Amino acid sequence: MKIETKLIHFSKGIILESGEKLDSFDLMVETYGNLNENKSNAILLCHAFSGNHHAAGKNDDFGVGWWDQLVGPDKPIDTNKYFVVCCNNLGGCAGSSGPASTNSSSGKVFGKSFPQVSVLDWVNSQKMLMDELNIDCWHFVAGGSLGGMQALQWSISYPDKVKKAGIFAAAAKSSSQNIAMNEVARESIRKDENFHNGDYYEHNVIPKNGIKTARMLGHITYLSEEHMDSRFGRKFQDEGSKVEESVSFEVENYLQYKGEQFSELFDANSYILMTKVMDSYDAGKDKTLVEALKDVKAELLIVGFYSDWLYPPERGKEIQIAAMNNNIKSSFVVLQGDHGHDSFLFNSETYSNLITNFIES
Amino acid sequence: MATRLSKIINSWVPENSKVIDFGCGDGSLLKELFENKQVLGYGVEINDLKIEKCIEKGIPVIKLDIDKGLNDFMSSNFDLSIMARSIQCLKNPDLALNRMLDLSKRCVVTLPNLGYWRCRINLASGKMPITPELPSSWYETENIHLCTIKDFENLCLKENISIKDKVFINRSGNQGGLSKINPNLFAVEGVYLLEK
Repeated sequence: MKIETKLIHFSKGIILESGEKLDSFDLMVETYGNLNENKSNAILLCHAFSGNHHAAGKNDDFGVGWWDQLVGPDKPIDTNKYFVVCCNNLGGCAGSSGPASTNSSSGKVFGKSFPQVSVLDWVNSQKMLMDELNIDCWHFVAGGSLGGMQALQWSISYPDKVKKAGIFAAAAKSSSQNIAMNEVARESIRKDENFHNGDYYEHNVIPKNGIKTARMLGHITYLSEEHMDSRFGRKFQDEGSKVEESVSFEVENYLQYKGEQFSELFDANSYILMTKVMDSYDAGKDKTLVEALKDVKAELLIVGFYSDWLYPPERGKEIQIAAMNNNIKSSFVVLQGDHGHDSFLFNSETYSNLITNFIES
Repeated sequence: MATRLSKIINSWVPENSKVIDFGCGDGSLLKELFENKQVLGYGVEINDLKIEKCIEKGIPVIKLDIDKGLNDFMSSNFDLSIMARSIQCLKNPDLALNRMLDLSKRCVVTLPNLGYWRCRINLASGKMPITPELPSSWYETENIHLCTIKDFENLCLKENISIKDKVFINRSGNQGGLSKINPNLFAVEGVYLLEK
């Protein structure tokens, strides 16, 4: 598979939904496969909350890509046929401009002064990337969770630029419970003594404990009760492989390990910013969802998972109903999914057949 | 789906109409309606393999248990809803019929006729009917609410549902003949266009 990873600089900058302006910005972009002559085989993948531009293949920085199970040669999103694009979203911490980047006008790290972005801003910046890559229309825009929100917003914001959209384990807006979970995560970061009100960079520290706790909580919400029971049950962690002295059960050890690992990779300000993007998204905004989808031309494939309690299938059904009210060619399928909210990341026979059939139809 | 049946349904579907097909199977009927009548059609199906086939054909489909979720799509304003060979599998066929007529102006219902003479012979010999149209044993069948042509028309009467058109299909898949004279005895399948 041909993989290209590059940092693209946008010197024109972008005016954000909030009205604030970023004078210029960078996007870290990864592409797979080749764009065909008439540029009709381009696919955009939008990453979820903690994802990045590395969607497929394996590299030293990020290991195996977040959607490697579904993206690659002869996989459901086949890079032999399609030119697949994925970028680290604005405000992230995997190479694109974000709180940990340097503000070119002040020469200092942005920190908490990095402007709050939104799903719409991400879509607009991805549109600038699309122009940069000389792509006129995406054959398919897809993502799960927060990525699904971007796919939905693409079909709303740029109706002529998206042929098909895949909206997986997503919602047209976050629920009160979603926001509540995120607030607990943010609070744990803010109350870490090393957070320094978001300007921890100049103190040469990171609020590691806060990010770790936030991620541990997040991780629970991504899995289902059933999945955790079958994977960990009430098994005790063996003494030799405990990552913390205090740990008794395997599930505790697992969360400790995952949280620790994540806290070394993810920027705390990005964590806060990304969760705020998720919380604030509302495809309907001051209108109803039905009105919001009025101009959509893309065909939609909406997939939910029974085991997902973070964005349960009902949220996908709401999008489907609004789509049908607008006579949009939209399908809505609920699959069991063995991994709770994270099910969208994993290959299963029906899921992959649906995606392949949808792209190829 | 038998060509005869799909021809009848085709003739009842207005061009460019918005159609929902409950129990759409692999989406064949909707694809035909899309090609012949340029309909905007949505299928409703519970079986994953059949859903994959719909998507493969480019037919929009919703995975849904019809017994549970008919109310969800109330606001969509369909011109026509179709329930071909499925109503006898539902827990509440009478409620489903009314819901279909709430969400669409008209509906097409087709159902196997338990009054068909071969079924009657089976019953007369003391056994549940097994015929080419009803091939499964009583313990395996999905058909939990079988009825005769007469029963169905009585239900329509009771629910104030008017029968705008009806066609009876005989054993060889054709209309007419004895099934026209005495459908309750000679039709294997009734095909109805209903309105409320």
